Amino acid sequence: MSRHAQENLVSVMLLLLYGVVLYLCQDFGPRARLIPLPLAVFGILLTLAQLGWHNFGREESPPPEMIHVDTSAIAATAEGQPRTERTEEQLGQWGEAGAYSIVALLIGLVFAVGIFPAVFLFTAAYLILTRYCTVIRGLSYSTALTVCVYLLFVKALEMQPYHGLLAGWMS
Amino acid sequence: MIDAIGAGLLALLTPQALLFMFLGVVYGLVIGILPGLGGVVAMALLLPFTYGFETAATLALLLGAHIATIWGDSVTSILFSVPGSAKGLALCFDGYPMTKQGKAKRALAASATGALMGGIIGAIFLALCIPLIRPVILALGPSEYLMMALWGLTVIATFSEGSLMKGMTASVLGILVAFVGMDVVTATPRFTFGSEFLMDGISFPVAMIGLFAVSEMMKMSIRGTPIIDRSLVTEDSTVWQGVCDAFRHWWLVVRSSLLGLWIGVLPGVGASVAGLAAYAQAVQTSKSPERFGKGAVEGVIAPDATMGANEGGGLMPTLAFGIPGGESMAILLVAFIGLGIVPGPDMLTKNLDVVFSMVWIIVLANIVVTVIGLGITPWLARLPSLQANLMVPMVLSVCFVGAYATRGRIEDVVVAAVFGVVGYLMDKYRYSRANFVIGMVLAVMIERNLHISINLYGADFLLDRPIALAMLIFVVVTAALPLWRQYRRKRALLQAGGAA
Repeated sequence: MSRHAQENLVSVMLLLLYGVVLYLCQDFGPRARLIPLPLAVFGILLTLAQLGWHNFGREESPPPEMIHVDTSAIAATAEGQPRTERTEEQLGQWGEAGAYSIVALLIGLVFAVGIFPAVFLFTAAYLILTRYCTVIRGLSYSTALTVCVYLLFVKALEMQPYHGLLAGWMS
Repeated sequence: MIDAIGAGLLALLTPQALLFMFLGVVYGLVIGILPGLGGVVAMALLLPFTYGFETAATLALLLGAHIATIWGDSVTSILFSVPGSAKGLALCFDGYPMTKQGKAKRALAASATGALMGGIIGAIFLALCIPLIRPVILALGPSEYLMMALWGLTVIATFSEGSLMKGMTASVLGILVAFVGMDVVTATPRFTFGSEFLMDGISFPVAMIGLFAVSEMMKMSIRGTPIIDRSLVTEDSTVWQGVCDAFRHWWLVVRSSLLGLWIGVLPGVGASVAGLAAYAQAVQTSKSPERFGKGAVEGVIAPDATMGANEGGGLMPTLAFGIPGGESMAILLVAFIGLGIVPGPDMLTKNLDVVFSMVWIIVLANIVVTVIGLGITPWLARLPSLQANLMVPMVLSVCFVGAYATRGRIEDVVVAAVFGVVGYLMDKYRYSRANFVIGMVLAVMIERNLHISINLYGADFLLDRPIALAMLIFVVVTAALPLWRQYRRKRALLQAGGAA
């Protein structure tokens, strides 16, 4: 999908969201909707204006991509060489889907095994699978992180840890 | 009064008080750096350890920890765009771009020095203003608070990144998100879909962890490179540069400090609003506002100076009326009960030495924080160059634990993840995350004070409140001024182009 179409899709999603807000506001009393209702109407007008501007307004310069590295502020490299743009190959192997998966995986682990085992498993898996370090080192790093986080949050800050759904089923 | 100033200092110059202050500062720095936790948590956790010690030592421990969290918040905002709590948000706007430009040391040092200068200026003005400030506080009502919140919204244009419509859309979304939960005025559940969890609303620190920290880690995992790639960007700034920056912009520091003091004095406004308001005034009074958001050191100095001074201001209503200036001051009130201190007018007359002890604690704790801060800055500045594959799992894990720790609700972890995705998409499609958060921060304050104003004075409350009206005019002028300047600059450029 082109960037232009993606922008339009975002605007349509926003219109839907404001529509839902407008609908839900009907159930509120006049005081409870005093700000949300006009705000949703304002949001719809803004989004329509944005849609109009995007499709029929003067052409804007294409926005920079997310993974574009802004080198405008970089005067030179460490060796005093001229600045260089990064190539696609240098930009990592994960992609957007990978980023969403990482977050989803961590959430899934937290719910399944509890918060601290999830921290250990996620960190160890990430470090090892991305080949940042060897298995032994990965396990050592994740153990150190988990112990530090546990001591800080549970022992020092007296947080009650979440034990996960598996612990609930097992007990 | 001179006697009280001396007595306040003497009470603090005991080994126990000095040791407690140092411990409080170190502890506060650690807590401040953790995402989702701020001064309130730091003070709340210390409360059980405060009973049975001398008054000055107890206050030194609590206030020292609280003051240290301010800079702790700033550190993660500047280095990773991860605000430790709501207060640190304004530091992300220019601090993080400075880090990406290889100026992390300079930004951290400017932040620490700005906070120190703000703290000292705030404390001095607080000491001078103690007899004057009481009638001023009493003269202000909800209508004036409403105008202050509206003033905070004027900063939206600064972060609109070329598209004012998208910037405003982001703010509208932020305001709407803030309305999720039980309406504080009418007790109506809004946008909760029957969920008990959503009745409490969206936790602000959790939303920020998602919007800034989680989304940044998502970006980093895609990019596969560290925040600073040392093959492209060298850390060419020094701590000394940052210290000098704060002194060079002394007038900005003074203005921001007075603003912070003032906002601190107003009960219930809070340091998160103070940071944003300081940033707004720094942008609006700058001769080159276009530099802001791209790594302007003034954008780091102003919020820190304001937050440094804000603590002194927050003491005023807490001590004089027993009305806490913010959440942390509410915890201080609890400590007062344990110490047998009764807040009220007597504090400003009979117990003035205790008040001045606190003023001295603010000054000394700020000095200790700055000395430690400047000392560890060179090491901290190396953190953003850590490899992405090490940073992503570690920061993401700590963020999710921090999100959970905020309220002890596992649902908050999901909220952080959802806001992470939202933040990522907002960044991708250039809807300002900063504007979203500004809307979120100010929404509740605007709504609450609007309702109270209408209840008290009717729909045309501005006619009954001349101070509020004057403030509204000020808001309009300060909002229009940057646009007017921009128009004039464009016209001058066009004329210059035509002449050429």
